[in-house]
This record gives sequence, structure tokens and C-alpha cells, in this order.
Amino acid sequence: MSALNKEYKNRLLRFTPHIIIILFLLTLPTFTDLAIVSLVTRILIFGLLVMALDLVFGYTGLMSLGHAAFFGVAGYTTAILIKYYHITSFWIAAPAGVLMATLLAAVFGILALRAKDVYFFLVTMALGQLVFEIFNTSTSAGKLRAMTGGSDGLGGIPYPDLGFSFSPTSYYYFALIAVAICALLLYLITKSPFGYSMQGIRESETRMRCLGYNIWLHKYIAFIIAGLFAGVAGVLFIYFNGFISPESVGFNTGGLILLMLILGGKGTLWGAVIGTGVMLALQYFVGTITPQRWPLIMGGTMVGVIMFFRGGIFPLSRNLWKRMRR
Amino acid sequence: MDALKVEHLSQSYGGLRILEDISFSIKPGERVGLIGPNGAGKTTLINVLTGLLPSMGGRIYILDQDVTHMSPNRRVSRGLARSFQINTLFTNLSLLDNILLAIQGVKPSRFQMFRPLTTYKDILARAQELLNSMGLWEKKDGLISSLSHGEQRLVEILLAIASRPKLLLLDEPSCGLTRGETTHLSHMLRSVMEDTTVFFCAHDLDLVFSLAERVVVLYYGKIIAQGTPGEIQAHPKVREIYLGTTA
Repeated sequence: MSALNKEYKNRLLRFTPHIIIILFLLTLPTFTDLAIVSLVTRILIFGLLVMALDLVFGYTGLMSLGHAAFFGVAGYTTAILIKYYHITSFWIAAPAGVLMATLLAAVFGILALRAKDVYFFLVTMALGQLVFEIFNTSTSAGKLRAMTGGSDGLGGIPYPDLGFSFSPTSYYYFALIAVAICALLLYLITKSPFGYSMQGIRESETRMRCLGYNIWLHKYIAFIIAGLFAGVAGVLFIYFNGFISPESVGFNTGGLILLMLILGGKGTLWGAVIGTGVMLALQYFVGTITPQRWPLIMGGTMVGVIMFFRGGIFPLSRNLWKRMRR
Repeated sequence: MDALKVEHLSQSYGGLRILEDISFSIKPGERVGLIGPNGAGKTTLINVLTGLLPSMGGRIYILDQDVTHMSPNRRVSRGLARSFQINTLFTNLSLLDNILLAIQGVKPSRFQMFRPLTTYKDILARAQELLNSMGLWEKKDGLISSLSHGEQRLVEILLAIASRPKLLLLDEPSCGLTRGETTHLSHMLRSVMEDTTVFFCAHDLDLVFSLAERVVVLYYGKIIAQGTPGEIQAHPKVREIYLGTTA
């Protein structure tokens, strides 16, 4: 009986942080103002983007700097369909955005996976910049510039039309549900045979090849799946923000989400979300006090994490919590 | 039918010829050892046979099927498996995860995305069988880095045999082992070799002569002798290479 009680207590203690986080997220709008609700919505959306990147970088070992391109392309596609083609149906505009991101990932994957290690990193950076320039180009007087708004970006996108009107709070719950479903799917993938294969590839490609795995195909599929989930994040973002600019597509965002992942702990989905939360919360609070010092503080935070929390915040916190439970 | 047939195989690094006109064959169920001094080309030959290095001439047949231009993973699907001289394990994964990855390598379920790997009862049962055979089941949850070198060598071979290969290539299986560990490994290999064709290279001549039915001697990229352990031990050129004398 006491052994059963001990096991029950252990299990309860193990899941306590998860329960606290879920309760916090579910009740957040009841005890805080809209600015914080908006901040957490942003954290959820970027958290999904970083989780998608984690699939490629943390689990498969492919450091990509062009991942923001899929996020941005999904956002732009949905925004263009709504604004210029007047397709207000969420069930057409949103999947179209995700589809474009997935297709772009399929094309980029073929190009980028020809390279390895640091060259893969450089190729993804170049491809990301290519997309950035397509949206950013202000010299172009063509139709594309008219639709994307060039460096001015594209705005005026309303909340999705699902038969009821959204408020910031209801959109928060909408994003929470969407991100929770995606996180569950990503979790299942990481625990599946395919997920284990990705980790095997990260550890030793040579051994995996000699065990019968088609390395290129596994990497390619992982890259496309990551593009798909980045696309979902991009669609959630455009409906939330109502505005998208080339900044969301290029090197800045690509680098920032990479830092978020390293901060939280790569190879762990929770780490991706925690890294995003810490980075965006810091940015928000520092921004209200001394916005011009944000880059300095971000740099200092990264140096601190790399020196004292090697492996990221989440793995360290998890180990600490394990030790406390003993 | 031959389990492995090699015809006029060659390989070079730049202008340096590593393998030259290598030809031999292995019958199904046969145990063949490969010996030769350092730099003879033993590991290169195994790398070419597994497809990690391309061959620059000649042909390779596994079970009478031409695999010369096949990728390593396609050769594995034809029944080939190998171990490495230097441990090539998944060091940041648990021992059980290492074995699970090795077992599922030739299964179609390796592309399955929405079912946890640990729910595949047949894969788990095979993992338990393999780890129990080496007395490592109790350590299944620990990281590979927590195992001793000897245990890691055993895992290295477990990964190779996990998929029940028809042709097993072992590259220096006893590398870095103590005498006691080598004896343990030798027993293990004997049980593995009962129903598998094995081609293995080793510096430990006692191990080779005790396990192999036939021995191939490689010297500066060329086969200089083939025969039974007794014939090889009496071969004047082999004695000269290993003992510095033909007496």
C-alpha cells in the first residue's frame, strides 16, 4: 500500500510542473491584462516555430538558419489571399499558407541537403535571405511588390472568420489549442520510430547508413515536416499580428529562433518553448524599461547561458527537479 | 551460390593504391578471417564491401546479386551488416535506444510517425533477447557512455547482428579488449556465427585461427594467400611477414 502511495506521489511530483504550466495557461486571461495575454500568445506561436526548428536542429542535427522563411511565406500567402484575393475563409487561406510553406521546405530541402554541417547552415542562410529579398525588394515595381508591400510589409489582416468574432483573449485560446495540438503531434513524432531515426542520424550518420537507413530521405522528410509546422506558426502569427514584414522572413528571425532554441535546450520540445518564453518575456520587459539596451542584454544572456547553463535552461531545470524529488 | 563474391576489386586514395585486384568468395555459413599487417587495407576492404567507400574497379556480389553500385542502406536490405573497429555507437542515447534503432533499421516501420517505438512488442522482445544474451538488460536505461569499453565493444557487435543479417562483416571485433574480454567475445561470436556467414578481420591471430574456417591474407592491398588456418600458418610468405622468417 505504501509502495503504491510512493509511486503515486512520485508520478504526481513528476508531472507537477506540467500541471502548473497547463493551469497557468488555461487561467491566464482571468488574472492578467491584455498586454500579457498578447505576449503569451506570441510566445505560443513562436514556441511552435522553435519546436519545428528543434525537429531539424535538435533532433536531426541540421543547424538551419533559413527556417523563418517557411514561417514568413505561410504568413504572406495567407495575408495575400485575404487582402488581394478576398478569400476570407479560414479553411482556404490558412491551409494555403501551410501548403506553401511545406512546398517551399520541399524545394529548399532538395537544395540544402546536398550540403553538410557548416555548409548546410550557410546554404539555409542563403536560401532564407533569398526569400527575404523577394519580399523586401523595394526597387521592384512589379505585381509582387504591390502585393507584399516591399520593405513596408503587409498589414490589415483581420482575425480569422470562424463564424464568431475573435477578441485578443479568444484568439489566445484559439492559438493555445492549435499549438497544443501541434505540440502533441510533434511529441508523437519524436517518440515514434521515425523520431528515433532522426536522433540516430544526429548521433552517427555512418552507423545509421550501415543499419539500413536512407539518411537523405529521413533528413528530407524531417525538413519538410519542420517546414509544415513552421507554416502553421506563420499562419497563426499573421492572424494574431495582422501585419507581416520581411523582417519575419529573413536572417534576423532565423537567427533569433536559433538562439531561443539554444537558450531553452535543443533536442527537447519543452526546451524550445521555454527558450522562446524567456527570450520574448525578456525582450518585452527590457523593452518597456530600456529598449535600446535590448541587443546588449540579449547578447549577455546568451553568453551567460552558454557559460553556465550549457545544454540549455530546460535540461538543467529538469535535472534540478529530479534531484529535488529524490 | 556465394554469400559474398568479390571480383578484381580495387581502390585508391589519390595516387596511392590501397586495394589491387582483390578476388575471393565466401560460401553461405562459412566463417572467413582476414588478416594482414597495419596498412594492408583490411578496413578499406570492409568499407568498400559495405558501400561506405566506392570501388574504383571490379564487382561485388551479395547472394549472387550485384551490389557494386548500391548505397550502404540498400546493401543492408540485401542482408549485409557490419561492426566498426572504432566504436560507432549513439553515445547520447540509452543502451536500449541503440538496440531499438538497430533492430528497426530494416523494418518498414522505421518511417512510422505517430506510434511510439516502445509500443512495438516484437522489436522490444528482440531487444530484450539481444541484451539478455550479453547480460546487459539491467543496464538498458543507462547512456552508452556509462558502459565500459568492453561492454561497448559487445554493443557494437549487438548492433550489427540485431537485424539478423545473412552476411556479417566484423572489423577488428576484439580491438582494445583485455584477454578475458576477448575470450568472452570469442564465445559470443561463436554463438552468433552458427547460422550466419561471417567475414571478419582482426590483428589477434589466436582469435582468427580459432574462429575462422578459412583465412585470407592481405598485404599492401593484395591478397597473398588464402586457405585453412593450418595452411596459412605454414605459408612461407605469411611467416615472413609476421615472424620476419620463413623457418
